[in-house]
Amino acid sequence: MGADRIVVGSLAGAFGVRGEVRLKSFCAEPADIALYTPLETAEGRMFRVLVITGQASGALVARIEGVETKEQADALRGTALYASRDRLPGLGEDEFYHADLIGLPVHDTGGAELGRVKAVFDHGAGDLLEVQVAGSSETVLLPFTRETVPTVDLVMGRIVADPPDGVF
Amino acid sequence: MARSVWKGPFVDAYVLKKAEASRDSGRSEVIKIWSRRSTILPQFVGLTFGVYNGKKHVPVNVTEDMIGQKFGEYSPTRTYYGHAADKKAKRK
Repeated sequence: MGADRIVVGSLAGAFGVRGEVRLKSFCAEPADIALYTPLETAEGRMFRVLVITGQASGALVARIEGVETKEQADALRGTALYASRDRLPGLGEDEFYHADLIGLPVHDTGGAELGRVKAVFDHGAGDLLEVQVAGSSETVLLPFTRETVPTVDLVMGRIVADPPDGVF
Repeated sequence: MARSVWKGPFVDAYVLKKAEASRDSGRSEVIKIWSRRSTILPQFVGLTFGVYNGKKHVPVNVTEDMIGQKFGEYSPTRTYYGHAADKKAKRK
């Protein structure tokens, strides 16, 4: 399993002069960030309430607990917001959070380590795992299919892959 | 101006050849191609192509709804990592 908390957004300074903040959401649906409260900063400051009040260019506009003035909002510019991993909703069969997959070691069917998951992409033709090859700076892309990745064991923290010829 | 219908879809000849050879061999392999301009044809469904993006071959598993598109559309030339946040991946 991945980290206990994950970055879901960041604050980008004040919006207007009444204490609203510009909020950059990293969620698949930007407005979903409000569902994952309480949000926490890296230093441990907790925001229990976050209400989205509108949209600005490239960001959401929100009102957060404990921020009443423009100066307070500006002081939070660049602050990353973390949500507890437990706040994320449950998943269907064969669905995985990117946060859970990234960092997992990838083994071949013989047990040899091929590398570690660096990123997960979807370019429109199905999800792909970018695997950092063990002992190399090179990366390879694996199609995230049952055929190529037969086992994803989040409890044991490992992925078993059967890559097609010509990938590694 | 759109391509004339009488010409049929454009596909580089070597792509057709490689796809046919792969289908005949029956092996699970990534067919490496450099032709991003080739059209995806019905006979490519079920095959996995490695489409070059200028740096590496991006695996593209061809499905029915991709017919008529170009291979290059599924192999972006720029990489953006971003944050994982609550994004999900589905194993197909």
